Amino acid sequence: MFQYYFKLGLHSLRRNPVLTALMVLTLAIGVAASISTLTILHMMSGNPIPDKSDRLFVPLIDNGPLDRYTAGQMPEDDQVSYRDAMNLLAGGHGERRVALYGVGDAIEPARADLGVIEVEGIAATSDFFPMFEVPFLYGGGWSPAEDKSAANVIVLSRKTSEKLFGSENPVGRHIRVFSDDFQVIGVLGAWNPAPRYTHLINGNGGTFSGNDDLFIPFSTAIRHQQDNDGSLTCQGEPGPGFQGRLDSECTWIQFWFEEKSSLDRSKLQDYLDAYSREQKKFNRFPRQNINRLYNVMEWLDHRHVVSNDSRLSTWLSFGFLALCLVNTVGLLLAKFSVRAGEVGVRRALGASRAEIFKQFLIEAAVVGLVGGVLGLLLSAGALYLIAQQSKGFAVLAHMDWMMLALTFVLAIIASVLAGLLPTWRACQVMPALQLKSQ
Amino acid sequence: MEIRPILSALLRNKIAPLLVALQVAISLAILANALHIVTLRYEAATRPSGIADEHDAFVIELSPLKKPPFAEVIAQQKRDSEVLRAIPGVASVAMINQVPMGQSGWNTSVVIDRKQIHTTSVGMYMSPDSLVQTLGLKLAEGRYFTDDDIEEIDFDTTVDVTPKRVVITQALAQKLYPDATSVVGKMMFFGTGNDAKEVQIVGVLQRLQTQNAQTTPEGEYSAILPVRMTERYGEFIVRTEPGQLAQVMRDAETQLRKITPYPIIVKLTSIDEARAKRYRDDRILGWMLVVVSGLLLLVTASGIVGMTSLWVSQRRKQIGVRRALGARRVDILRYFLTENILITSGGVVGGLVLAVALNQFLVSQLELSKLPITYLATGAAVFWLLGVLAVYGPAWRAAGISPAVATRTA
Repeated sequence: MFQYYFKLGLHSLRRNPVLTALMVLTLAIGVAASISTLTILHMMSGNPIPDKSDRLFVPLIDNGPLDRYTAGQMPEDDQVSYRDAMNLLAGGHGERRVALYGVGDAIEPARADLGVIEVEGIAATSDFFPMFEVPFLYGGGWSPAEDKSAANVIVLSRKTSEKLFGSENPVGRHIRVFSDDFQVIGVLGAWNPAPRYTHLINGNGGTFSGNDDLFIPFSTAIRHQQDNDGSLTCQGEPGPGFQGRLDSECTWIQFWFEEKSSLDRSKLQDYLDAYSREQKKFNRFPRQNINRLYNVMEWLDHRHVVSNDSRLSTWLSFGFLALCLVNTVGLLLAKFSVRAGEVGVRRALGASRAEIFKQFLIEAAVVGLVGGVLGLLLSAGALYLIAQQSKGFAVLAHMDWMMLALTFVLAIIASVLAGLLPTWRACQVMPALQLKSQ
Repeated sequence: MEIRPILSALLRNKIAPLLVALQVAISLAILANALHIVTLRYEAATRPSGIADEHDAFVIELSPLKKPPFAEVIAQQKRDSEVLRAIPGVASVAMINQVPMGQSGWNTSVVIDRKQIHTTSVGMYMSPDSLVQTLGLKLAEGRYFTDDDIEEIDFDTTVDVTPKRVVITQALAQKLYPDATSVVGKMMFFGTGNDAKEVQIVGVLQRLQTQNAQTTPEGEYSAILPVRMTERYGEFIVRTEPGQLAQVMRDAETQLRKITPYPIIVKLTSIDEARAKRYRDDRILGWMLVVVSGLLLLVTASGIVGMTSLWVSQRRKQIGVRRALGARRVDILRYFLTENILITSGGVVGGLVLAVALNQFLVSQLELSKLPITYLATGAAVFWLLGVLAVYGPAWRAAGISPAVATRTA
């Protein structure tokens, strides 16, 4: 029976072409608006590292001065100082530890006439690659020993490698950058997390777009006195020069812990609290020291990765879908009301109300299905237009299988919901009255 | 006079009119809020930055691969300034560390009392040249710096960037000294506590946005320090003669590359580009809301047209009877118009309530400002008009029904 009703539904699409087209179009526009805004929201709030997100932690330590402080006030810094980064690295707690900051410079090609190539990247400790599961095309990352010796080794992004060396494997080759000679030891494979959760605080593109062209050991960047490409917060005044910054309480480094399991969180918290108590002995941390921990999703939330604008657009789009739904109810009502005669005949011939209900609801769902197909096309168009607006949106405006399926589900649910009232009305038809009037 | 029969007819068949009213209500709620948001964003994006004639100014930023020693940087900066000034079409050149809407730069906190806990965050501009002249700023009171005020600071050997005098914006002056009629000659501090550095306010600017151009009052809390600094190698703001921007930008890059003895990275940004980039997200949201609002009106109008057409076809016989009994065409037309106005009015009343509720929700979730009453009034007017326009076509067709219909069966 389902198949037969489905066929009837398809057939009935041709009955009032204008009315049907209007219905399909209304539904499709409503669905497209909701799906395209929801896609952006979905991509923004996605989990960039699902298998590990609950056991990677960002620690924050309140190292601000006492003046300008009222007890219980939450700390305002989202990074740590060089001193704390070094201490936490040396502390050896957890499975892995990473300290990182953004660096920017230019590569000087061997031929002087080529001009310099501006590059941006990350200075990180060796655990960076295994911790964030960064794939390699050639070679690999550096070792803890190279961390210690501040070796001049460099890992390139695939794009940078191709720019410099074409398609050949550059591992072992040398390049001149940071006014020094560096040996290429690895080239990344495809690695483009969205959001760029490993260093949300960055100076090269922001949360979703931007390129990390190269990666060097943290200690090497410090040895070359590389300035931080990102944000620097100082509560007091640091001493002069680069050394002044290293010795200061200025915060400019992002730190990550990896634990064996999410259950080790309290252990990490205890470790941090013990650390800050110990540092108080060295006259540091005059405040109450509320040490905070964030796992990946909490960190994204804390940094407001999902913009209010996308929330707003999504809500308003669903409001718009509600309007389209009400409109479809009206149109279906009109469409079904002219078929009272048909219902009368079927009822008189023995069809139960449930059968009539089924038939008309399936007919409404068919409208939804067609609306879904059109809605999908419109969403793809809308997403294409959105992607043109900015680099960030170009990363976000992609439909995945989940959203594709959701488009149809949403369209069919919407049409069935819209069909409920008109279908119920159709069931109320009195067969005797209808047959008499004919 | 005619309202009673129309009303009782509506009440006998409630569902369809209710649906139309509901559509009007939802549309009105969304439209009023969407237009409110679009207006807010548009107003924010077109606020004056303090820079006069933005179309004729650009920033050129130079960074060498390796920073030369202090004295050499100073000499190079001075050479660069001269070269830029000599380019035909250049009106004025100033060194600068950040520009309004540039979205990157220096913030510092200021107080007027060392013991003060609550500090004010201020965008910190530094220039040894006249920003009043190059940016086209207007002094509200006091004076700008003279050559005697300028200090040269080497960041590699000192951390004290604070000079003795400062020029601040009117907005900042009012925040620091809310009751004073004049702040020229008054003191303020950079930082707090015992380390705070005391400076004297010598001039007040009418307006100069910070590098972030926030939409809160903080967006105009700026201070200019008479400092030549080498922390950044060289960044200049250049004002050109009207219409010469593109040519001057090209010449500036070529000339500076020519006179610098080592490889440098050159970055050029016009103020127009900086503004477009700063407000890009607002523009995208604005367009998206405008598109949704347009579709909203279209869907609602089509809904009204569809429903009215249906009623007209359902009531052909009644209309014929009325016509046969002496009703004129205009009476039929008036009937449908009145009916529609009644329905729309119901929808508008519901829509006003819904709009305020939606606004409350957005205020609580997104720190949006309250919906002004004018948007509600405009929205109501739009939907009354839309209703009348949408119903006119079907109603006119209804009026055209011949009285003879009444005599035909079925």
